[in-house]
Order: sequence, then structure tokens, then C-alpha cells
Amino acid sequence: MLEVTNLLVFYENAVALNDFSMKVDAGRLVAVIGSNSAGKTTFMNTVSGLIVHTRTKEIRKGGERITLYGQVTFNGEDITALQPNERVEKGLVLCRERHPIFPESDLVENLKIAGYLRKRSEVRETIDYVFHLFPTLERLKTRKAGFLSGGEQQMVAIGMTLMVKPLLLLLDEPLLGLSPIMQKTLVDAVVKMREEAGLTIVITEQFARPILPIIDFGYIIENGMLTMQGTGAELMDSPEVKAAYFGV
Amino acid sequence: MVVKRKRKERIDRGIKARSDDIFALTSFREMLYVAVPPVLPVLLLLVLPLVLPLYWKKVLISAAVFALLAMSWDFIAAVGMVSLGQALFFGMGAYTTGVLDHYAGLPIWLSIPLATVIGGFLSAILLLPVIRLRGVYFSMVTLVLPLMIERIIEATALFGGTEGITGIQSFPNQWVEVYLVLVVLLLCLFGFRRLMTSDYGLVLKAVSDNDRAVMSAGINIYWSKAQALFIAGSVGSFCGAYLTHVYMFVGMPAFALDYSILPLASAVVGGMGTFAGSVMGAMILVPLSEALRGVGGLRTVIYAISLVVFIVALPEGIFHYIQRKYHQFERWVEVEG
Repeated sequence: MLEVTNLLVFYENAVALNDFSMKVDAGRLVAVIGSNSAGKTTFMNTVSGLIVHTRTKEIRKGGERITLYGQVTFNGEDITALQPNERVEKGLVLCRERHPIFPESDLVENLKIAGYLRKRSEVRETIDYVFHLFPTLERLKTRKAGFLSGGEQQMVAIGMTLMVKPLLLLLDEPLLGLSPIMQKTLVDAVVKMREEAGLTIVITEQFARPILPIIDFGYIIENGMLTMQGTGAELMDSPEVKAAYFGV
Repeated sequence: MVVKRKRKERIDRGIKARSDDIFALTSFREMLYVAVPPVLPVLLLLVLPLVLPLYWKKVLISAAVFALLAMSWDFIAAVGMVSLGQALFFGMGAYTTGVLDHYAGLPIWLSIPLATVIGGFLSAILLLPVIRLRGVYFSMVTLVLPLMIERIIEATALFGGTEGITGIQSFPNQWVEVYLVLVVLLLCLFGFRRLMTSDYGLVLKAVSDNDRAVMSAGINIYWSKAQALFIAGSVGSFCGAYLTHVYMFVGMPAFALDYSILPLASAVVGGMGTFAGSVMGAMILVPLSEALRGVGGLRTVIYAISLVVFIVALPEGIFHYIQRKYHQFERWVEVEG
């Protein structure tokens, strides 16, 4: 469904992603795991197209030059040069890290804003589905999103991506800064989303422990380079991964 | 077949690295590399009055005044206060010197420095109630204040009302007149640039970057902002006081919108946050506006179009662009992947 080949991203003279290739088949749950500064967010921005936007902005103000090589194909179509909004229309939706929501709008309004591309009836349906997925959100319906806790905001952020009815969902560090119990809730929700809505999901995460058991396939990157790949079970058994990400 | 992939690399010139870090200048070339950027404008500004005809000397004076106002705008913009009312500072200084001259009969060498300090103080006091406002709210208040004061003067006939105060003493001769403003301009330029790299300047810059982090460090940001307002207000007031003595007149036009908008345009065209950019912008825009007087009715249109072209083509500002080209070069390198 998504295929990334030989992705090469430079921020000025620093290389952020070096010859990174990966593949996601429809209906699979794939993780890209790496520590800080490994290039996870750059990868997500490249796939979702935000980097194309950043690049033109930086060129205009004479700032950092971003160099991009490689190819991103989605459903057999080359989308490397498309703008982020065009990619969303094709069903490729990103949930950015640190749960960006609209703090001044209430929870339901946030979901409605995200459902801009969909029909009213669909929006109503999906809001119900989001509440089914995250029951805690139901009673916070009219609360201003800025007053929600970090975990609740993360749920709203994921809910907002669901409103678009994506074919492929990109989750950038969904567990960042959450308590273990909240992490478990979210991981359960991800599994549920995949089973019930038939979504294809790509997760990036530096905290591998809760993610590895649920994924079909994982890629481990370090300093922008692919160091290891394998199914979830394979990665869990590998001594390097154990040492680096489980602290065993 | 492997396709050769290339990217454009941007790196510092060798001479910059050598003269930056090691600071053991070993050749004339390196010394010139370090010395030319600061010395060139100094020489240019000091020599220009000697060669320019009288009319263009007056233009230079006006350009220097707008450059000072632009620097004062740039300074408070660096502290996170985007002002649309440099005319407030300008008018405060102008009226203070007018009053000191006309009612108290102070000599010129006393009235200008006094007006500089008092005007800066009054401006800071006037803006003190809105110091907690940020962004567009602060801008709106600063935009309205000078226009309001203008109307107050008109309505109450304060300090001559619509007539203004005439017969203010002029400078002893035109050389004092020109060189006073140029020397102050250079002092402000290098002083501000030095100030912003000192610890004090770092705190001010931090206030605009993240004021909450500055508060968390135990610094009273409102006190810092008030100090910044006083400094910027003093610079603006000096401009007002100086031009009042040049024109030998002070009146309601001292609060005109021109003194708010042109400095802002200069700073934006020249490049924000560098002060040198503000000077450069004013030195381009003011003579440009004068040169266009010959065009007649379409003057403002051409002026506005050139402003738009500058801002669209070089949003970073002229100074930033030149600085980058001076310190860095670009070349195509093969991508190693």
C-alpha cells in the first residue's frame, strides 16, 4: 500500500534520513522504532508531505535548505511531490507528535473540524465511533480541548485523524509523555482500530516495549539508517533490541 | 545505471572560519574581511555629507532619522513588542524639546539631551498600562496612541494647538546639523548590536522567544520590557527633538502616521533583528521616495510596488541576504547514500 524507496533527506548539511526503504501492505500494523534524533519524525513528515511544505517555506525565507531524494508511492501512485492536503485526500493521514489540537474549540468541534472532507452523516457516524473507541471522551464532549489532560488530548488527536476516514494512518509517537496506564489504553485502541475499521497503521515510537507485541512488522532506525527489520516477535527476541530498547 | 544525485551544499567560507574562531589574523586579506563590513558604512556616512549637494544632504538627514526610528522599532520588536506607533516616541521628543525651548528658553545643547531622556520616559509611562498586552493588541494600542494625542492637541489648543510652536532655535551651522545625527546613528547602530549580544540583550531577546521560561528564571519580564520601551523611546525622542530643531517648528505633524509606518517598512525591507538592516532599509527607501518625486502622481504607487517586490522576493531582508553571501558559499556536491 505504502512503499518508500531509498529516502534521503538532508537538513542543510546534516543527513536526517539515509537511504531508508520500507513497505507497508494493506491491513498491516507496522512500526518504525528508533531513539531520539533517529529520523522518525522526518520520516513521518516526508511520508505525509509536510516536509514539501516546510521546504518551500524555508526556500522563500532563505533558511535551511532541505534536500529530498527517493520515492514515496501510495497505492501504486508516486506521491513524492504532492502537498500534504492532496495526500490527505488520497487517504494518507498523519497524527503529529505532541497531540496538536485546537485548544480554543471544544472536543466535538475539534472532531468536526477534522471531518472537513466528509459528509455530515459520515461525520456523525465517525464521532460515535470515536466515542466507542475512547469511552472516556464521551463525558468531556463540551469541554474546551485546551483544558483536557495530555492523554485525553492525544485521544482527541487520534480521533481527529479517524474523522478523515483514512486508508493509511500514520501515528507519530502516540505514547509520548503518557502514563503507563494511558499508554495501555492507547495501544488497545490502536489494535481495536485496526481490527474494527480495517485500517493500515504505521507507528513511530522510541518506547518499544508496549508497541512490539502488537505489530506485524518493525523497522529499527538509528541516525537515519535502517539497522534491523523483522516481525514483532523476531525483534523482541533479538538481543540488540533487548539491550537497546528494553534495558535488559 | 546509477543516476548521479546532487545537492547544493552551503558552507562557511574558509576565511570566515579562520577569522572567526582562531582570531589570529595572519594576512591583510583576513583583516580586511573582518574590518570592511563595519568600517565601510562608517566611512560612507562620514564622507557623504562632504560630497552631496544641499538638497540631498537634507535627504540624508531625513534618511538618518528614519534609520534611527527603524532601529528603535527593531529593538522593541526583538523584545516581542511589535509597535505600529514610532510616531508616539517621535512626537514626545519633538514636543518636549519644543516646550523646553519655547517656554523655558533652554539652549539647544541642553534641550535635545533633556528631550531625549524625558521623551523616552514619557513614552514608556504612556505604554506602561498596556505592557502586558502581546501581539496585535499591543500594536493596536501603539497605533492609536499618537493619533489620539494629535487630536487632544487639536481640541485643547495645548502648546499652540493646530498652529504649533514656531521660532525654535536652529543649529549653529549645517555641519553640526548633519554630523550630529550621523554620529548618533552610528553610535546607536554599533551600540544596539553590542547590547543585543550582551547578557542584558540576551534576556530581552528571550522575553520575545519564550516569556514564560524567562519568568521561570526569576526575571521580571515587565520590568525588562519597560526598560526596553524606555531605550527605544529615547532613541525615537531624539529623532523628534533633533528634527524639531532642524525645522525650527513643532506641531501636530510630529505625531503623523509616516513616522510609524516608514521605519517599520525600512526594518522589514532591510532585515529584522540586525539593526544594520534597518539602517540599510532606510538608506534605500527614503532616497527612493525622494527620487520618485519627479514621477508625480504615481509616486506612491511605484513606491508601494517596489516595497511589495522587496518583501516578496527577499522576505528575509536585504541585510540577511548580503550577510549570508558574504560568509557562506554554495556548491553542488554528490549525494553519498
